[in-house]
Amino acid sequence: MLRQDINDLLTRTGPGTPMGELFRQYWMPACLAEELPEDDCPPVRLKLLSERLIAFRDSHGRYGLIDEFCAHRGASLWFGRNEEGGLRCPYHGWKYDVTGQCVEVPSEADNSSFCQNVKLTAYPLVKIGDVLWTYMGDPATQPPLPEFEFALVPPEQTYTSKRLQQCNWLQAFEGGIDSSHVTFLHSGGLQNDPLFKGAKGNEYNQNDKKPFFEVADSDGGLFVGARRNAEDGRYYWRITPWVMPCFTMVPPRGDHPIHGHFWIPIDDENCWAYSFDYHPVRALTAAERQAMIEGHGVHSENIPGTYRPVANRDNDYLMDREKQRTGEYYSGVKGIAIQDASLQESMGPIADRTKERLVPADAGIIKARQKLRKAAIALRDHGTTPPGVDPAHHRVRSAAVVLPHAEAFLDACREDVRVRPGMPIASV
Amino acid sequence: MPKVIYVGADGQEFAVDAVVGESVMATAVKNGVPGIIGECGGNASCATCHVWVREEFVAAVGEPNDMEEDLLDLAVSERRAGSRLSCQVAVSPELDGLTLDVPPVQP
Repeated sequence: MLRQDINDLLTRTGPGTPMGELFRQYWMPACLAEELPEDDCPPVRLKLLSERLIAFRDSHGRYGLIDEFCAHRGASLWFGRNEEGGLRCPYHGWKYDVTGQCVEVPSEADNSSFCQNVKLTAYPLVKIGDVLWTYMGDPATQPPLPEFEFALVPPEQTYTSKRLQQCNWLQAFEGGIDSSHVTFLHSGGLQNDPLFKGAKGNEYNQNDKKPFFEVADSDGGLFVGARRNAEDGRYYWRITPWVMPCFTMVPPRGDHPIHGHFWIPIDDENCWAYSFDYHPVRALTAAERQAMIEGHGVHSENIPGTYRPVANRDNDYLMDREKQRTGEYYSGVKGIAIQDASLQESMGPIADRTKERLVPADAGIIKARQKLRKAAIALRDHGTTPPGVDPAHHRVRSAAVVLPHAEAFLDACREDVRVRPGMPIASV
Repeated sequence: MPKVIYVGADGQEFAVDAVVGESVMATAVKNGVPGIIGECGGNASCATCHVWVREEFVAAVGEPNDMEEDLLDLAVSERRAGSRLSCQVAVSPELDGLTLDVPPVQP
């Protein structure tokens, strides 16, 4: 159960809200680099934290993220002409550069002095890895660029996709720190998915359906440890790092690439699920990359030309009762990403947490809500920089390890949950 | 046997003989005290056993633990100085006469 006022606090991220201001302290994914593939390519409409924006790449390869609407009379710049170092509104020819500065008002005689005073809201847009990152907060407190490992390894070692999820960011994110659903909802995937199957850890996962949770603070958020029984005297630990506000990594399986997510609020009732897969020490194989493109693992098969999944709420996620009966897909929905999305969207646009009934396996969720609440209030009341802003906090990894009963998971795995360039993941 | 006294929102008192070592939540549930639910079975996960410890017993009962602290912030309708999840308070001889108010509603 969560009090209504706290549910509102955590789920509303528009301008001026406490959580909205919290999100505006961080660099976060704005779109994929593939959406702006070349200079002067078509601009992209984006909504982030309830603000309507336009991303574009100018004639000189510079990226910009500016207010969607022309300062003149509010026409959408999505119709704009991306040319000659700026984005030009096709209505009356007003032109803006990547900083939002109006650089031309060709319809007026005194063009240059007028346009100096016209500037649209603009945010930085920076390519790191396969993602274009933005920072939507006060320029005076803009932190150094993010250092998440998936975005820093060579391109042949990493792959990122995104999909539209039609619900509030918080219920989507909460699925990312809840290991106990994996044994049920994703049981088919553990056996069949090319990016999951074959790991020894999957046996522990399937043989012990009642994980015990331990949660430990980290500099940037939490480590959520899910403990299952392994061989005599030993436990199988799956360790999920969370970096505030919305980055999580899934514990690895065997030598498969390691994956994780960002859940970025579009508005209060929609979010982007970014899903990445990377291997810290080797290139992804052609088969792995192909499987990711086809929507296996944590990725989704999207409607061509869009980031909306083929299986979505308008077609009941292509539910297959026969496959539900046989257990090929535990819920009857195909694919790990859509299995999660279908249930999280079914909770409503913003889940009513005053009616939920939490159990000990929800310890990570309780802890995360409390950290978010405290950070949002400390920022609002005292201007305190929240955890996860410092790029040093980004250098974490998930881990899946077998430990003797007596060992505390974080003591035993301190090195494993840190990014160590050139070193493999700790995984069984 | 130590006694625990639960006072309902309507003022009705339930004085119960308690077993040392058992939780104040379990003691209430076993004796049919209304208003204390204990849905999660005593794991500090649901906050449906919230009580307000009377001021004179607050020091003896002690501070909430870490997870309990979070739930008191997030879940209960009205947190007060004496707020505890009764599943996290064990009956002891020193707590004989422990008096608590039961909130009118649990989460």
